[in-house]
Amino acid sequence: MSPIDPRLQEALDGERDPGELPADLREAYARLISAAELLESTPRLSVANRVMGEIRQIPAHVPPDSPVRRMIRWFGRGRAVTVRLRPVWTLALAAGLFAMLLLPWQQGSVPAPGASEGIANFVGHFPGARSVEVVGSFNNWSRGLLHLSDDDHDGIWHAAAVLPAGTHEYMFVVDGERWVPDPLAGRYVDDGFGAGQENSLLFVRPAAAQP
Amino acid sequence: MVNDDADVVARVLAGDGEAFGILIRRYEPGLLRFATRMLGNPDAAADAVAESLVRAYRHLAQCRDPSRLRSWLYRITGNRCRSHLARRHTNDIPLSEAPAPALAEASDTWEVLERSEQVALVERALAALPAEKREAFVLKHVEGMSYEEMAAVTGARIPTLKMRVHRAREALLEALEEVVR
Repeated sequence: MSPIDPRLQEALDGERDPGELPADLREAYARLISAAELLESTPRLSVANRVMGEIRQIPAHVPPDSPVRRMIRWFGRGRAVTVRLRPVWTLALAAGLFAMLLLPWQQGSVPAPGASEGIANFVGHFPGARSVEVVGSFNNWSRGLLHLSDDDHDGIWHAAAVLPAGTHEYMFVVDGERWVPDPLAGRYVDDGFGAGQENSLLFVRPAAAQP
Repeated sequence: MVNDDADVVARVLAGDGEAFGILIRRYEPGLLRFATRMLGNPDAAADAVAESLVRAYRHLAQCRDPSRLRSWLYRITGNRCRSHLARRHTNDIPLSEAPAPALAEASDTWEVLERSEQVALVERALAALPAEKREAFVLKHVEGMSYEEMAAVTGARIPTLKMRVHRAREALLEALEEVVR
């Protein structure tokens, strides 16, 4: 294989007018362009019916902003509430809260996992972010379902969720547009799309197996 | 365009799975052409494209920039083709699988037959290239992509892609010296 004249490469890259080429290079140019044109014929095939048939067997994507989900998210998000109390009531409230903390059933805001489920905690440091959410194999990579919160505005966002036990792939979505792997995940897997990007890996132990 | 890719993707993600058919109709011909040139076998190409489109549907929410859906679909299909070639343990298309001229029909004119023969010869010359050079040439000259878009599809750097395209041209020119006039 012998190198071809750089002027021909430039013409084929659209960086030089092919009309300026000497006759022998113009002929080589035409030969390669003709070859490419011959390859442009499209095979008489269609996989549309096959693909749509398979897609119809897959659950539809969940719309992230349906009214029901918006309501669930509204109830699930932390909100600032100001309450003015007389000192005596403040003391009573503090005593009541202390007593509640001592009760054995108080496990936080995450529902109790089933035998084949576990609690996954997501924590990320995203100072200045307006929103952070988690998408992953457990929610069909759908946005708007699992939001992290940063109630004290220290840049540390967190959320907990009950997930099926096993290995899950996930990513953080920051400000609704920036997809970033979890720097604390420790384990990653290629996202399979060939651009060298990786999803974070999470292993959820079944609640029954946790101490 | 009313139904641009981002709009259609939004519809699919909102639960309208049938809208994915719009994207299939839009990109299927190019993806099939690309996969056929990569694999040298229309049946294997159809399998690769079908698997890629189903995978794209499943992971559509992971398409970070729906306005660049074309690059994303070619990237998935390119990966499928590479997996297929890797299973063959060689990136070159075996001669037995290289495209053969289509069978002639009685109604074919001499021009049609000659063109069919030329297509087959060019396909054979392309099939003899290593997969990376074949991919680079097809994306550049058959699919008409810019080097930037090729980088998004392949994950390779632009200087690397230019080098692959240049080498592919040199090899093809040599192989086609007596074929295409």
